Amino acid sequence: MNNPISRKQFLQICGTVATGTAIVSVSGFSVRRMMRDEADHFWQIDPSKCTFCGRCETDCVLSVSAVKCIHANKVCGYCDLCGGYYRANVKDLNTAAENLMCPTGAIVRKYIEDPYFEYTIDENLCNGCGKCAKGCNSFGNGSLYLQVKQELCKNCNECKISKVCPAGAIQRVPANKAYMLKDA
Amino acid sequence: MKKLFKILLLALAPTLALGQNRFPKPDFESGYQYPDFNYSVPDERLWSIIDIVLLAVMMGIVAYAVLKQRKRIPVFVVSIISILYFGFFRNGCVCSIGSIQNVTFSFVDTSYVIPLTVFLMFILPIFFTFLFGRVFCAGVCPFGALQELVNVKNFRLSKAVSAVLSIIPWIYLVFAILYAVTRSQFIICRFDPFIGIFRLGGDFGMIAFGGLLLVASVFTGRPFCRFLCPYGALLSLFARFSIKQIVITPSCINCDLCLHACPVDAIRPPYENKVKENRTAGVKRLLAYLVLLPVATLTGALLLHSASDSLSSANKDVRLYEQVMQNEENPQNVQPVDVEVFFSQEGRIDELTSRVASIRGTFRTYSTIAGALIGLVIGFSLINLSLKRSRKTYEIDRTACVACGRCFSYCPQNQQTTDKK
Repeated sequence: MNNPISRKQFLQICGTVATGTAIVSVSGFSVRRMMRDEADHFWQIDPSKCTFCGRCETDCVLSVSAVKCIHANKVCGYCDLCGGYYRANVKDLNTAAENLMCPTGAIVRKYIEDPYFEYTIDENLCNGCGKCAKGCNSFGNGSLYLQVKQELCKNCNECKISKVCPAGAIQRVPANKAYMLKDA
Repeated sequence: MKKLFKILLLALAPTLALGQNRFPKPDFESGYQYPDFNYSVPDERLWSIIDIVLLAVMMGIVAYAVLKQRKRIPVFVVSIISILYFGFFRNGCVCSIGSIQNVTFSFVDTSYVIPLTVFLMFILPIFFTFLFGRVFCAGVCPFGALQELVNVKNFRLSKAVSAVLSIIPWIYLVFAILYAVTRSQFIICRFDPFIGIFRLGGDFGMIAFGGLLLVASVFTGRPFCRFLCPYGALLSLFARFSIKQIVITPSCINCDLCLHACPVDAIRPPYENKVKENRTAGVKRLLAYLVLLPVATLTGALLLHSASDSLSSANKDVRLYEQVMQNEENPQNVQPVDVEVFFSQEGRIDELTSRVASIRGTFRTYSTIAGALIGLVIGFSLINLSLKRSRKTYEIDRTACVACGRCFSYCPQNQQTTDKK
């Protein structure tokens, strides 16, 4: 053992055993946890917490946010005077841009029967600003709400919006509950 | 009275539960059907299996190429595949570097369950490093591969500069774990210089930083890997005790060519030609550093302990608390959105105060540990620099070697060795 090479080798073996044990124990611990619970894969907005602050539009890593407005038709009242479609206190109820809530004109309004109108979101135009959802929640049933679209979401390791969401509404969800829908 | 109250409650219950059912569901007479939306979820299972298989296979290829074949070409091919697949196609999330935080987070937060793929992304490279050295860094990691492929000229940094800069990854690692343990932020993902390049868009500052790093890596080998990457620091720890690693060609003729080919300064020349230092001076210096080690540890611990309150502002709740307190001081000012939402959700200041106090408490504990670790790293790297070596031949520093295989083609003896096999 006085030979310096053998001392070095001895330390080397000790280190190998120690690091090997560390790998095995960390794996064992994590695998046991993973077996017990369902893993979290995706990001979603909890609609009951969302306050429509508008940060989803501005803080997503994508240049056009992966957060879009979703319409729960089964919750909607099909109102003529829709709080999500028209701005509050507008003079005339027509489709002129200054009267509409949506800045990109993404809400499509369709006459169904008197006095009901159907509203649909054109997702290619929607930028996730949440203005319509705010209006709908303030004056209507709250059928318009914001949600992370899974086919657009980059599934960042840590959602950037979740770090600025004032309501803490953005959370991780397991793969089999990939959407938190209002009408589900 | 009680009964009446109960009845009233029962009558109100549905409206309370639904919250905002201001308008009743319409009765359509025209036979209108509700449109059926199907929100598609991309099936990630296949892709994540491909990710993991490709990760393992590519690390295996690199290990075989550098340990058995002693060739660079397979490493080069793997680098290109990695940049295209892990970089531009999969857009780099989750990567092994960032997975450190997920693993840490899953240890402290019982509500977070780490997906198997993320865990494998974390442990597989470590396992391969434990077996074969840093084969992950060689070209399987898209960040390393990107820097490797643009590297043309290899200007060497002075030993002092690179020794000082090499401490940064450890500090970065310690801070990343600190912020993950306190559930504040994933700083590795936040300050990721290359993700913007792979996604062709993102935070301008980070893309500019990534571009600068890439320009720098044209002229010097892998600046990110050597002086920033926290996962590289972690892997170097496992590489130190790896079971196998790349060795200098056995029939080395001390020609010095490989030393200049190495982009990461991992090849150490023999000491023979150098003037030997006075033995007592060496021993004295080593002793001084050994005394310095606990001092550095303690200093680091104290420094970060005193800075823990300002460190804790990275936590969202602490930031909210600071804003609420500012608002309490100047109630006439316009409330920031966060404060407004806090009060609208019936948040109570005393609850927030106690929560922030406990967060700050954990920050104090963990930042003390973090400071001690940083002091320890600095102390150890000093000791490591002053240890006396008795090298007679060229040796590869296994902690620094990233298994890129550049040295093989420069070695005049390597071709013969591989031919004989």
